[in-house]
Amino acid sequence: MSHDSHHAPVACKTELAPERSDLGLYRPDRATGLIDWLTTVDHKKIGIMYGAFAMLYFLIGGVEALAIRTQLARPDNDFVTARMYNQLFTMHGTTMIFLGVMPLSAAFFNFLVPLQVGARDVAFPRLNAFSLWTFVFGAFVLNASWLFEFGHLAGWFDSFAWHKALVYTDFAPANGWFSYAPLSGTFGANGQALRFTGVGTDFWIIGIQILGIASLAASFNFICTIINMRAKGMTMMRLPVFTWMTLVTSVLIILAFPAITVALIELMFDRAFGANFFNPSAGGQPVLWQHLFWIFGHPEVYILVLPAMGIVSEVLPTFTGKSLFGYPIIVFSGAVIGFLGFAVWSHHMFTTGLGPVPTAAFSLLTMAIAVPTGVKIFNWLGTIWGGRIRFTPPMVLALGFIWMFMCGGFSGVMHSSAPADSQQQDSYFVIAHFHYVLLGGVLLGLMAGLYFWFPKIFGRMPNAPVAYLGSALVILGFNLAFGPMHYLGLAGQPRRTHTYHAGNGWETWNFVATIGAYVLGIGVVLVFGNLVWTAFRGKKCGNDPWDGRTLEWSLPSPVPEYNFAQAPVVATRDAFFEHKHGAKKIGLENDGGEAGVHMPSQSWMPMLASAGFLFIGFGMPMMAMGIPHAGWLVISGLGVLFLGIWLWALEGPGGYMLKTPAPSGAPAPAETVAH
Amino acid sequence: MSDTAAAHEAPTSTGIDHKKLIMWLFLASDCMFFGTLISTHLLYRKLFPAGFTDAEGHQRFIQDLFSIELTSFSTFILLMSSFLMALAVSAMHKGQLKSFRRNVLGVIIFGLIFLGCQVFEFTHFYHKGLTIQNSVLGSTFYVLTGTHGTHVAIGVLWLILLYFYSFTGKLGGHMGALDVEVAGLYWHFVDIVWIIIFTAVYLVEYLGPYGIWGSGLPAVVK
Amino acid sequence: MFSRILSRVGLLAALSLAFIMAGCSKEELTVRQSTMDPKGPVAQVQFDVFMDTVWLVVVLFALVGGLMVYAVIKFRSRPGDENKPAIVEDGHGNPLIEIGLITASIGALVIIAIPTLSAIWYTDDVPVEAIPTSKLSVWYPRVEGGRENYAQTVEEQVLEVDVIGKQWWFRFEYPQLGLTNDAKHSVPNELVIPKGKAVRINLRSEDVIHSFWVPKIAGKVDLMPGRKNHMWIQADQTGHYYGQCAEFCGDSHAYMLFRVEVVEPAEFAKWVEKQKSPAAAVAVGSPAEKGKALFAAKSCVMCHNVGGHFGAGAFGPDLTHVASRKSLAGAWLDNRDAVKQRALEKSTGNTENSVPVDPATLKANLVKWIGSSGVAHGADGKMTKDVKPGNRMHYYKMFNVAGLRETNQQFTAEELDHLAEYLLTLK
Repeated sequence: MSHDSHHAPVACKTELAPERSDLGLYRPDRATGLIDWLTTVDHKKIGIMYGAFAMLYFLIGGVEALAIRTQLARPDNDFVTARMYNQLFTMHGTTMIFLGVMPLSAAFFNFLVPLQVGARDVAFPRLNAFSLWTFVFGAFVLNASWLFEFGHLAGWFDSFAWHKALVYTDFAPANGWFSYAPLSGTFGANGQALRFTGVGTDFWIIGIQILGIASLAASFNFICTIINMRAKGMTMMRLPVFTWMTLVTSVLIILAFPAITVALIELMFDRAFGANFFNPSAGGQPVLWQHLFWIFGHPEVYILVLPAMGIVSEVLPTFTGKSLFGYPIIVFSGAVIGFLGFAVWSHHMFTTGLGPVPTAAFSLLTMAIAVPTGVKIFNWLGTIWGGRIRFTPPMVLALGFIWMFMCGGFSGVMHSSAPADSQQQDSYFVIAHFHYVLLGGVLLGLMAGLYFWFPKIFGRMPNAPVAYLGSALVILGFNLAFGPMHYLGLAGQPRRTHTYHAGNGWETWNFVATIGAYVLGIGVVLVFGNLVWTAFRGKKCGNDPWDGRTLEWSLPSPVPEYNFAQAPVVATRDAFFEHKHGAKKIGLENDGGEAGVHMPSQSWMPMLASAGFLFIGFGMPMMAMGIPHAGWLVISGLGVLFLGIWLWALEGPGGYMLKTPAPSGAPAPAETVAH
Repeated sequence: MSDTAAAHEAPTSTGIDHKKLIMWLFLASDCMFFGTLISTHLLYRKLFPAGFTDAEGHQRFIQDLFSIELTSFSTFILLMSSFLMALAVSAMHKGQLKSFRRNVLGVIIFGLIFLGCQVFEFTHFYHKGLTIQNSVLGSTFYVLTGTHGTHVAIGVLWLILLYFYSFTGKLGGHMGALDVEVAGLYWHFVDIVWIIIFTAVYLVEYLGPYGIWGSGLPAVVK
Repeated sequence: MFSRILSRVGLLAALSLAFIMAGCSKEELTVRQSTMDPKGPVAQVQFDVFMDTVWLVVVLFALVGGLMVYAVIKFRSRPGDENKPAIVEDGHGNPLIEIGLITASIGALVIIAIPTLSAIWYTDDVPVEAIPTSKLSVWYPRVEGGRENYAQTVEEQVLEVDVIGKQWWFRFEYPQLGLTNDAKHSVPNELVIPKGKAVRINLRSEDVIHSFWVPKIAGKVDLMPGRKNHMWIQADQTGHYYGQCAEFCGDSHAYMLFRVEVVEPAEFAKWVEKQKSPAAAVAVGSPAEKGKALFAAKSCVMCHNVGGHFGAGAFGPDLTHVASRKSLAGAWLDNRDAVKQRALEKSTGNTENSVPVDPATLKANLVKWIGSSGVAHGADGKMTKDVKPGNRMHYYKMFNVAGLRETNQQFTAEELDHLAEYLLTLK
């Protein structure tokens, strides 16, 4: 019996009778096209949308990066103004981290986790949709600050009284992605709340707050799914490494995000209500902001890196034809990285005058975190060793990941040493370091994942030559752009400066870096463009084009709505590979097949609830601008949020049964089972 | 009452219901949330143990402000509400809807009394000169206890909705008991957090002759 | 096919490495703000620790990277592999290899941990061994008439300098020597320190966070509002050093530069005396005298102190000796002849050598700086560009002082010329 023969097509849900909720409202189950996407609770569609939005924001963040590099190409350049430059690097960092890498990781979490653990959906499908739309609206709020900025530059607001009353007129955030108080906060005693920056910072605060809610909701959901919805026999130590890394990442998110949430609330109280958390004139300690920010900020680095490590840990075994070397220790080291990630935050603050004892402690802890990271690299090497490497676009990108991540890791070891770091901190050396980790590392890893799973997602194979060309340009351009920055940092060029004088010896390599950035930009467009083209026009491919190892490859491509017609029973790690080549076969659970597969109903409510955040997100900065009656926007936002949650609760989960396709392969009639 | 009603009939991998698990996860996250707020408050207490200066320029001490009797009372009320919540959950597990309603109504009333005490406390402190703007103490105190109050208010709202929902006849069986139990988890957590806040923010100020931060009113003078 | 690609990639990598190596001339390592050219013990120690990490990393990189390249080439799939049975054994790893590698990594980290720890304590505060030669009583000469330049109580201390950061310039004060803002003797933009003497730096900020960084003398330490940070520095060669604020501090962060002038101890004493001297009287009827009147009329005096002329200002930089400084406007504008300076640096191969102030450049800078308020028109009739966007002289909107731009004060070209002439006399 061919393994996937039992996946026969089943009736599409539009053939079902419409469903009415408790309130008498029709659920959008019969919807097709756009409404289907807007109301979907299917983890695969949500994953695809996460991916699409992430790519969009990657491009926006990339354009911001190119504007930055264009400005820095020559000394004393005036391509953009000082303030615009500050806004560009603020939004570039924020966009890439919160709107690029995190959602792209979330896209993989969504699409893969249920498939890898052998589940039919995530634990809370509507909450999943809520996470997506909250992210989308939060991202929109953050980027809408640009629209206000352009409106301001074009003079649209000049005639308004509130505009004339503004002291600072930066509408897009110009406070850096770290938003150090008091630059982002206030000064002046007794609630004067005088500020150093304008409403851009308010946009940033509320935008990050909304995105944090999205990340938290998604993480609760994934942990639940991974812990609670594993197929029979899928013990924790049989979970694919990617799923393990998702679990560690999600735990990091739920423990790290509260710190930034509180910090943002405190900063918001400072700015909006004249509180004194970070106001130095009233005794507030700006250094507290840094602690709170980096208690979140350093785990955040691992939140960005671990999913990519998980992806690479899936890609390498597939293309070496060998199981992952030292699976338990890779999982364990991932968990140790997550744990130690909470204990090294102050290495971002070596120059803030912590005193020698904390500095020494954080120096040593930072060195310690290199050990589990090194363990991962050794084990990847062990996976390659003795294998039969097939070179494919995902494999080449994964090898690129290891190489670049290794470089980034090594420069990280260099500034774990606090005295050396005092020369490197806030210089271009640091920029080089974290771009090697986050771009050379994470982005290459995510690209490897995209090329690896794209055949599964769309059933189409990306064009390999274009993929190779794109990857080569990315790697070449990347090294050309960020390699020289090591030198520039050591030559004393500080970061976040919009220009520099000729005569400091930075001219040549800045110019080279700019050329590299453009090459990198072309490469990224090729890599992403190839994927978009593939999604619509690519060559169709089989269900298991790579000789995959984990459960998702046992499913048809694209994966049907219900994922598994019959729940699998797993007997080993790398279950599908063993099923194909070994003795341990995947069993099929008799999970009440005659009753059918339970499918959750679609819903408008998650999006409605998220829309409340859109109102709040616009209302808060508009209040800060002094626009009359903007407070009503916030209140109506809270109302919409409450209404959404209320209707959500009342409409109930709904759901309908799809009859399990008969193992013979004959299309089975679908029927609705009343709830 | 869950997105995965069918999945509940099939046992989960751990045997813990999804809803209960996600509530535990949320509470883990909320621990960090309150942990950050409480440490902010304690940190500033250590840095500025002196209290605050009111609008007339008088130096005020925190013990001067607190009415420990009132706060002890409201703490007791909140503790008792947790007791009633436990009774409500147990009643729901036994399917005793009436007993559930009685107990949950008690929780709601006790929650409202607690909130009332807090509103009174806030206005009282405000009139005594502590504002969110005039000192770091005011900022940390109001934001910390206010955030806890918001949690209580959300809990009360949730329980009110559950109370009315119980009259529709749809709250019952395993899923109904689970819904109540999850609300109970939340309520107990909010209660426990208050115990910590009450200790860290109120009680420690009375330790030693001058408060734990070493610079307050002598306890006897007060 | 892939091995062909691989060899090309290897070739490319080798070429680019050679390219980078070729670029690393001595000149590139000793640029103005290079961290690789330490000129004092603090920077030296930091550089040494850095080089320790570099060597460790290079060795590790060669080992791990080499193994990886070898593995990727050695274990690539070959024709016929598809007929072999799949490798299905479960990879538990090899405990001995794992433990060995973990132990080796920890060992490697200990190699850098030891110098790191010793350097953390060494760079924290003036080390005991540096104090005997750096005590004020040992090296700071008596000036005729007694020791009025410093108090008796500080004799046995090392020289202390308060660095005060503001958006977007640095103010330097020498409290032991009476050079403070309160005493109307502070020094903006250019820190002057004696050669070979340890100096304790107290870091304070008046608004947001800034960071004090002179790469050739010491790594950075932040100026945190609400905190009292400190560091110590020592420069072992005289010369003109370049520093910059290294913490993002708002619109004009890139323009927040400063200089450090390292002089012989004897010269330092003379410099201190000079800082305390008032400005010379301006010649009657000269353009400078008209400039002086403008200085008062256009409310420059509200912020700027000119010793002997105007004493009300405390908020802006002290201008008593503005014409003697090599830089202006937070050290963004250089008052030296750029061509001559570059020629000197090139011929001596040392960026610390400096030509003296060029009065013509200084005057042009003054005109540009004062006149570029973003509302005034330059000589060519075009709107002038901000030298420093958001700077307090032009943009101030807070407290009780308003900037030139906010009060719409404009200068004619003639007025600017007079003002510059006046400031040029403040040597």
